[in-house]
Amino acid sequence: MVTQLPITNDRTGATNGREVVIRMYNVGFGDAFLVLLPDGKNQRRILFDCGSVEAAEDAPMDSIVDRIIRDVTDEDEVARIDVVVGTHRHKDHVSGFARSAWDDVEVKEVWMPWTEDPKDFDARRIRETQSRLALGLNAAFAAKLAVADNGDKKKLQRCQSLVENALTLTNDREMKVLHNGFSGNPERRFLPEADKDKVYQRVYQTDVLPGVKVHVLGPSRETQVIRDMEPPKGGSYLAMRAFAESETGKPPAPFGVEYQQKTYSGGGTLPDKDKEKIKRAAELSDLAVAVALDKAVNGTSLMLVLEIADTFLLFPGDAQWGTWCAAMEDPEWKEMLGRVSFYKIGHHGSHNATPKKFVESMMPDGICAMASTLTRGIWPDIPRAPLLDALSARHVNLARSDDPDNIGNVFKIDEGVIETRIPL
Amino acid sequence: MLRRTSQHGITQAARRPLKIFASDPLVGRTFGKRTRIDIANEELEVGPVGARLEVIDYDGTQNCFYTPVNLDDHAILMQGGLDPSEADPRFHQQMVYAVALKTLENFDRALGRALRLSSGSRKGGKRYPRLRLFPHAFYGANAFYQPDLNAILFGYFKADAKDVGPNMPGQTVFTCLSHDVITHEMTHAIVDRLRPLFLEPSNMDVLAFHEGFADIVALFQHFSYQDIVREQIQRTRLDIRTPTPLVDLAQQFGFATGGGQALRSALAKPELKLKDTMIEPHARGSILVAAVFDGFYEIYQRRIADLLRIATGGTGTLPKGDLHPDLVNRVATEASRTAQRVLDMCIRAFDYLPPVDVTFGDYLRAMITADFELVPDDEFNSRGAMIEAFRGRGIYPDGVGSLFEESLLWDVGAKLKPFDDDILKWIGPLFFRGVRSFDRVWEHPASQPSEPDPESQQDLQNQLNQQSQQNGQSETAGEDEKIVLNFKPALEEALRKYAKTHANLLGLDDDRKIEVRGFHPVFRVAPNGRLLIELVAQFTQVDKEVKDEFGGIPFRGGCTLIASSDGKVRYLISKPMRQAGQDAAREQAGKARFERQRDYVDMCDLTSPLTPYLKKNELQQRLVELKNFANLHGG
Repeated sequence: MVTQLPITNDRTGATNGREVVIRMYNVGFGDAFLVLLPDGKNQRRILFDCGSVEAAEDAPMDSIVDRIIRDVTDEDEVARIDVVVGTHRHKDHVSGFARSAWDDVEVKEVWMPWTEDPKDFDARRIRETQSRLALGLNAAFAAKLAVADNGDKKKLQRCQSLVENALTLTNDREMKVLHNGFSGNPERRFLPEADKDKVYQRVYQTDVLPGVKVHVLGPSRETQVIRDMEPPKGGSYLAMRAFAESETGKPPAPFGVEYQQKTYSGGGTLPDKDKEKIKRAAELSDLAVAVALDKAVNGTSLMLVLEIADTFLLFPGDAQWGTWCAAMEDPEWKEMLGRVSFYKIGHHGSHNATPKKFVESMMPDGICAMASTLTRGIWPDIPRAPLLDALSARHVNLARSDDPDNIGNVFKIDEGVIETRIPL
Repeated sequence: MLRRTSQHGITQAARRPLKIFASDPLVGRTFGKRTRIDIANEELEVGPVGARLEVIDYDGTQNCFYTPVNLDDHAILMQGGLDPSEADPRFHQQMVYAVALKTLENFDRALGRALRLSSGSRKGGKRYPRLRLFPHAFYGANAFYQPDLNAILFGYFKADAKDVGPNMPGQTVFTCLSHDVITHEMTHAIVDRLRPLFLEPSNMDVLAFHEGFADIVALFQHFSYQDIVREQIQRTRLDIRTPTPLVDLAQQFGFATGGGQALRSALAKPELKLKDTMIEPHARGSILVAAVFDGFYEIYQRRIADLLRIATGGTGTLPKGDLHPDLVNRVATEASRTAQRVLDMCIRAFDYLPPVDVTFGDYLRAMITADFELVPDDEFNSRGAMIEAFRGRGIYPDGVGSLFEESLLWDVGAKLKPFDDDILKWIGPLFFRGVRSFDRVWEHPASQPSEPDPESQQDLQNQLNQQSQQNGQSETAGEDEKIVLNFKPALEEALRKYAKTHANLLGLDDDRKIEVRGFHPVFRVAPNGRLLIELVAQFTQVDKEVKDEFGGIPFRGGCTLIASSDGKVRYLISKPMRQAGQDAAREQAGKARFERQRDYVDMCDLTSPLTPYLKKNELQQRLVELKNFANLHGG
């Protein structure tokens, strides 16, 4: 089973057998984390995501991918990763997998959320709904942009950038690589997995990572959660667009012409100003629809806790409130969240991916946390300052990918890659 | 209401029968059930347009009107209203009007005063004399109350060809043909008259209360239709002693305004309790509905216990086969009466609610106190059942020592002096006007004679409603607010003086301006025939320093005072400010409220996917957006 050679290459973060190494690659607005676990004299490697929607300065995605591959290359010149995790299909998490360099990387397992399972009926429906919505919104916004004036243009571009992030289709290169690519014929696992009685497994264990328990906190298979993955708002929005582009330019009238009046014969009166207000009353805002899609895709995010020798590492992907809430209400998971020693800050440090309750009263004091982020002009509030302050208040050792000069002494920088070591 | 006479001197009927669909078009399978309801026989114009409601069938999507109905048409009168039909917009208008007026009547009766639904819109804007109902306002699976237009807009849509649910693919679904959607939206409009500040989300319960309460009214109003309950009880005979048939019935009714799913699961899962992680207003509101439903079910059980003993000869086992129709009738009657009693309890609680920052716990206390005052001997221990039901759903009021009835009654305000003569001297004219309003509210706004007394051009209640409405509006507009009582500035001054003298005891801040939100008499008839008269005064204060941080919602405090007709304070319902000088306990409570509001804002940020993507100016308004019903009810 063990094919790896003893480690001699220092760059791969040799461990003394009693620590986990976590490296954060500066991808800009996106995620790429490499976790190195000790296994006797060997090392096990897990790559969480590789994607970006806006690269950091001087660090194009090609160079990042090359760097990751270099970091996982063994003495025999073969690049090996035990597990590649695609937390969810947002561009900022998977775009890097489109590079052909991955073809020669030997991978043993690829983990994806259950919503990626090609054989699962619900999963397929969710993917189709989300893709249809992303494509539809993209076309709708493009059409609107073509005729928008400058003020509207800016607003629309904000919305469109959210849609573009979600515009990762099953037959796009990055998804093909995750589903069929890499060398070594890796096995695809869709988490959480069901046993033969259709009971979803809270813990996943694999021979590839001996001694590691993977707690699957999300995505859940609860009906309510699944509903959130298929935003009805988006459907209505697209239906209205379709009507607007149809011959009549509007939905069919509910009653025949014999009932329609241009001049009202009833007792009430209706000023023209009110008519205008009524016409606009039910319009869906572009941003609300774009955000509904963003949330739906984030909702499919894998949220994992790696348990190694009583040490707990939390990788929530971009999980949002629904997943967090379920995790914090579950007695066992709640207890576990109180014992984590590492936290990958969710969704680039935004408002809605890290509950205040977790920061203030659940996670232990002084843990190590990493935020892969970049302040973009269009989203000035990501990462969110009050969240970072709240983390400092708990004496968290925090490293931001976009601020390598201000990292604490538990981190070190290796040619632009921020690295930390968690003792076991 | 004074009976009208025809042109030939014949007295008109007191009630007007109209037909409606009783089950929900959004729950396709059972759609088509119909029933007949009676409403006040008021003078109507074509539309229909009555004294307080105005149906205008304008379709914004098609930009056309649909033929309005004349409910006084002889042919229609002869058949007791148009027959239910999906294809005829005139039936839709009839149904919207009938159900809306029925809802309004339920409020009138339980509150002991006639509500007006006129509004001023934004400052300098148009004033609408009536609440307007648009049965087919737009294409879309949505229906909502729009304060800005003083209107309820109903949408229609084609069922999705791919995901039809219970509907036929491509079938047009009309939200205005759902009894419960109409009642739900009417309740929003009425609540907004009674407590305009309940649209400001200052804690987790506020918007959830709006939603939950609207569903409560819809549910229990529906249960009060005996023939429907009777049919269900006959059909599900074996289940007569479990809540299932009644829950099933509730499900058939629909609750399709976006809360449907949540409510269904809450009713069906007795173990579902209120948690501080439930933040979505419909999901949270559904727990309130479930609590009231549980209480209702318990009371109903107590009321049919003797019937069941008689029917089963004391064995508790019903004979096989169909139930005896007399038994079904009696049980259905009890179910409907219980529903009406619970609905009255729920609505009556309103006068006992604080003017701002309501919680579910406040609502329980208001319900218990109001009912205790009106019905001291509670034959079936309805209040006990309600308290137990709320406890069972995890709803506990703040600051009470136990869940006994006595500890849940509101604070009696023992240190407060009675209203002084400056206030009491206005009570005579106020009472007179209040009593007369029962008749005058049915007169068309245009035909109402102006007051002979130049000092009082409009009745105070109307004035107050209008003013508070304007306030609600100006908040939406983000403008500064100002309460002005045109009627008797002297009365307002006297009330303010009273509040200022007792500021700390009321939980108010000495240094801030006190606003008089309302002052009205209430007349109620107890089951034993006793006339109960109360005076209700509301005061508020506002602290706008943190408005931006709190997403556009200021921190507010205030209180409701309930006094007997001689001016003695009976109850004080206080939401203290952060500084209440002498009264340390209230000041503490005010600070705690402030922190709760801050936590709520954080929680909204966490649960809203929108927050990270907002710009600074949008962030400062992010909680104001929450109170937009179009968003709340959208699919």
